[in-house]
Amino acid sequence: MNETLAALAAITVLTLVKATPLIFAALGGVLGERSGVVNIGLEGVMTAGAFAAVIVSGATGSAIAGAIAGVLAGAALAAILAFVATRLAYDQIVAGTGVNIVALGGAAFGLVLIYGQPGASHEVPAFGPAGERVLTILAFVLAVALALFLSRTPWGLRVRACGENPRAAAAAGIDPLRTRFWAVIAGGAIAALGGVYLSLAELDLYSDGMTAGRGYIALAAVIFGRWSPIGATGAALFFGFFSALQYTLQRAGIPSELMQALPYLAALVALAGFAGRVRAPAADGVPYVPDNVRA
Amino acid sequence: MTAPVLALHGIRKRFGAVLAVDGVDLELRAGEIHALVGENGAGKSTLAAIAFGAVIPDEGTIEATAPVGLVHQHFQLVDRLRVWENVLLGREPRRGWRIDRPAAYEHVRALAAEHGLDVDPDARVEDLPIGVQQRVELLRELDRRPGVLLLDEPTAALAPTEIASFFRTIQALAANGTAVLIVTHKLQEVIDYSTCVTVMRSGRVVATFDTAATSTDEIARAMVGGELPPLAARETTAPSVRLVARGLAAGDGAGALHDATFEVRAGEIVGIAGIEGNGQSALADALAGVQSYTGMLEFDGAPMPSSMSPSERLARGLRVIPQDRQHEALVLGWSIAENVALGRHQTPPMRRGIVIDRNEERAAAQLVIERFDVRPPNASAMVDALSGGNQQKVVVGRVLGAAPKLVIAYQPTRGIDVGAATLVQSRLIEARNAGVAVLLISFELDEIFALADRVLVMSGGKFAGSFERASIDRGRIGALMAGAH
Amino acid sequence: MAAFFKLRIVRDLGVALIVVFGVGSIAMLLARVSPIDGFSALFDGAFGTTSEFAETLVSATALLFPALGIALSFRAGLFNIGAEGQIILGGLAAGVAGYLVPGPPVVSIVVTLLAGAAAGGIWGGIAGYLKAKFNANEVIATLMLNVVAVLFATYCVNGPLHFPSANEGETPLLARTAWLPTIIPDTRLTIAFVIAVLLAIALRFVFTRTVFGYELRAAGEAPDAARRAGIDLGRVAVLAMTCSGAIAGVGGATIVTGVLHRFNTGLSPGYGFVAIAVALVGNLEPLWIGVAAFAFGILQNGALSMQAEANVPRDIVNVIEGLVIIALAGRRVISARRST
Repeated sequence: MNETLAALAAITVLTLVKATPLIFAALGGVLGERSGVVNIGLEGVMTAGAFAAVIVSGATGSAIAGAIAGVLAGAALAAILAFVATRLAYDQIVAGTGVNIVALGGAAFGLVLIYGQPGASHEVPAFGPAGERVLTILAFVLAVALALFLSRTPWGLRVRACGENPRAAAAAGIDPLRTRFWAVIAGGAIAALGGVYLSLAELDLYSDGMTAGRGYIALAAVIFGRWSPIGATGAALFFGFFSALQYTLQRAGIPSELMQALPYLAALVALAGFAGRVRAPAADGVPYVPDNVRA
Repeated sequence: MTAPVLALHGIRKRFGAVLAVDGVDLELRAGEIHALVGENGAGKSTLAAIAFGAVIPDEGTIEATAPVGLVHQHFQLVDRLRVWENVLLGREPRRGWRIDRPAAYEHVRALAAEHGLDVDPDARVEDLPIGVQQRVELLRELDRRPGVLLLDEPTAALAPTEIASFFRTIQALAANGTAVLIVTHKLQEVIDYSTCVTVMRSGRVVATFDTAATSTDEIARAMVGGELPPLAARETTAPSVRLVARGLAAGDGAGALHDATFEVRAGEIVGIAGIEGNGQSALADALAGVQSYTGMLEFDGAPMPSSMSPSERLARGLRVIPQDRQHEALVLGWSIAENVALGRHQTPPMRRGIVIDRNEERAAAQLVIERFDVRPPNASAMVDALSGGNQQKVVVGRVLGAAPKLVIAYQPTRGIDVGAATLVQSRLIEARNAGVAVLLISFELDEIFALADRVLVMSGGKFAGSFERASIDRGRIGALMAGAH
Repeated sequence: MAAFFKLRIVRDLGVALIVVFGVGSIAMLLARVSPIDGFSALFDGAFGTTSEFAETLVSATALLFPALGIALSFRAGLFNIGAEGQIILGGLAAGVAGYLVPGPPVVSIVVTLLAGAAAGGIWGGIAGYLKAKFNANEVIATLMLNVVAVLFATYCVNGPLHFPSANEGETPLLARTAWLPTIIPDTRLTIAFVIAVLLAIALRFVFTRTVFGYELRAAGEAPDAARRAGIDLGRVAVLAMTCSGAIAGVGGATIVTGVLHRFNTGLSPGYGFVAIAVALVGNLEPLWIGVAAFAFGILQNGALSMQAEANVPRDIVNVIEGLVIIALAGRRVISARRST
């Protein structure tokens, strides 16, 4: 009996560890998508967050400084997507894919430049167990805060309006381009915390490709969670559970690759099962182009 | 003469190749209900958008001494949000960092009561019928206490009783000093409710009238710049039944089709009259095969179940002129020729094995260009460079050129100039003369009356009445459209 | 009309060139290398000798296959971001089939290419089916499938498909009869290059002349009008994604049979992603994509020399490619069929 309790406790802890970066990324995705911008570039944002955090932590000796740097780096990368998606009205999916490639390549380039070796950085000062728990709690707090923001505050209302019908928002005197721009950047900052957790909490270094598709799973969590912060958090926990399961089941002799694939397969199933039945914000992914009145 | 509240001088605006507004002067004074009329493509909607400030003109000045509000033809509402959220978007009452919901609710309730508009502030816009949605749009503008209120085709989606109540609201506003501009093509409403009229044609102001001193005929003549070209003559035909529907139902929510029972014969035009949003789209989509339905449908004696694909229906000779040519009929980035092939590309002669026969395609396109006077008369021209009227001619031409047995024409002359509209209508009559069965769905009663052999009235998703051409009763039809029995 | 077309290509290519030379120079300066040294190492590495030029064409070929597949899916309004996984599985299938099916070279070559096409096609088809049946977002689906493909291939090659004569994480070395014949002796440039070029020409024919291409383009540019015109959007989605995956799979197969002569999980250094940039630079037109693939081949191949000779980390090329994708995301040819 004690053994099962211990096992359950272990899985719960592991689930939270695996889910925390997903929650951050999913929340960032929710904010952007509710304003009308699909951020395929979350993967790149997490990468940028993870990399910048390690660099600055290594240089300053402070994990907190690293975390702040990570957030800023993620926001900066998201700003590129934000600009391209709003002012230029470029295709958001294609631009997001580009952002991911830039981030991965930039981090790899930076690794060689700064550490003189490809593949991974040195170990740097990171968050201990206390810091990890603080970050996890922060994730949940942000989820609630984002939910309140969207449903109760004026700015949240305007974000939702821009995501549903930007033309209507414009008719009400709101600038959809500016709202979307800042929503994507804020979303990037939140998502970058997921990267920071990966490199400074779960581990204490950066390695090539460490985000391993989590940014994409986070997008599936957004859909699965019906674009609500609480729902997306729940979905992220669900996917994190599958990640945690992989470690437990590995000891049962099941091939590790199959287990590693579990969260991604879960995401696929979620897409198939839920995609048709939920409604995205109506203008999600559709570039807004003002002054479009025809005779 | 009092000073104008809104003055436009020398306005010019070009969209690509089209000169939408060509040197317009317009003045609005407090208390007047100013009608702006013109046929489709005359530039009235663009002028209203410019007056509001949504569109920047290439030349000209706009002077407004009071705030300007605009109620759009296609509402700019966020469907998923509530009424009060839409009305107060951008100016929400606050308590600290949150929205003060009780205050917002009360504010909107009071505003609605002040103007005599019946609407529930807490309802979600997507759940409201179109007529009520318009009130929300109106409230949003009224909350800003505009000195000038612009309305673009405000009664397009209203039932006759709602229209009367709408104009009572407008007249109260005007009596209170608001300057009102109504863009419309409904001349009877212009005569009944406006104080003055400005007529636009081809981007210019061609006439202004004092409403009291003019008539619908005079306004119509100014709009068209002469007499209307005549429609093709009707010939006698020997009708045999082509389409039978019994108890057809499709869709759900507002605008659903509940119970359609009717017949269409070869060589006749059946006109379905009704206000937009009463099930016409569900009916058209069901017949086209893009919306599932229950009930019985028979085409040429053979059953046409809901599962039959659009491809199969086209093969049997059932063709549709859709309501929205830009999204439902044309591929804007393609040439006229490639668009003419669309819908005919799956069978010979357009299809030759795995390849599209380019010669066939070009020949068919030439035929359409000639029969329908498409300009520019170049089969390789990109369709998105064509005017609305020419685009519609391509769509109608390709449908009629495919030797159809039944044509469903849904708003076939929507948003096109009078010349193109008359040509399209004449071609439909000629098709009817040649034995094609035509089901005409239109929101313009004049069009129905000009073309139909029989008129059916749709209201609330059901068919409410049937009239032969010889015994059309306008009053009764209007009442049925509004929901009478 | 032709002049206008050229103008837009010129403008977009101009942007791409600015990104390449501008960002490249900045990166080189960051690496404390003069841009002149850096770029001359790059171009020297791409053209310097016959074998280096051949190697550039090898890179170009490896990019051309997935780029053609991606272009096909883009024209249908679908984003196939999963070319990477399709390349890997196509390569795996070719590596195994080439080993298991002996015979004269013609048989081997056909079998391995078909195996690659089948594996890639199935993988792409899964995403297409999910889209058609459930309206599932094919971007996320293909991205998930990418990761699963790598894991699946690793599992297979170390488990059920592990042959005694193979190294860890690889399939056995293929018999010489299964190797694609080279067209420049003593280089790695094989008939794969010819196949790719022929495929580009064939794809152009499909787009401009065939009924399938016509329906595919209609589904991509005006889905509602296409549906009403009798086009089965679900069928187009499945076929487009399957063909797209199959073409990428053939690319993976040619890497295995032509370059590595065995399958290895690292056979694609991100070709599936770079190919997106290639497809965009080529404006989704097969022949222009060929030209773009050549340009990117220069970058990819030259980057290795740039790293070896001038000490500029080759990853900067990825950054440049990503920026090119962002810069060209405004191409009007892209119009997606939005789903959740």
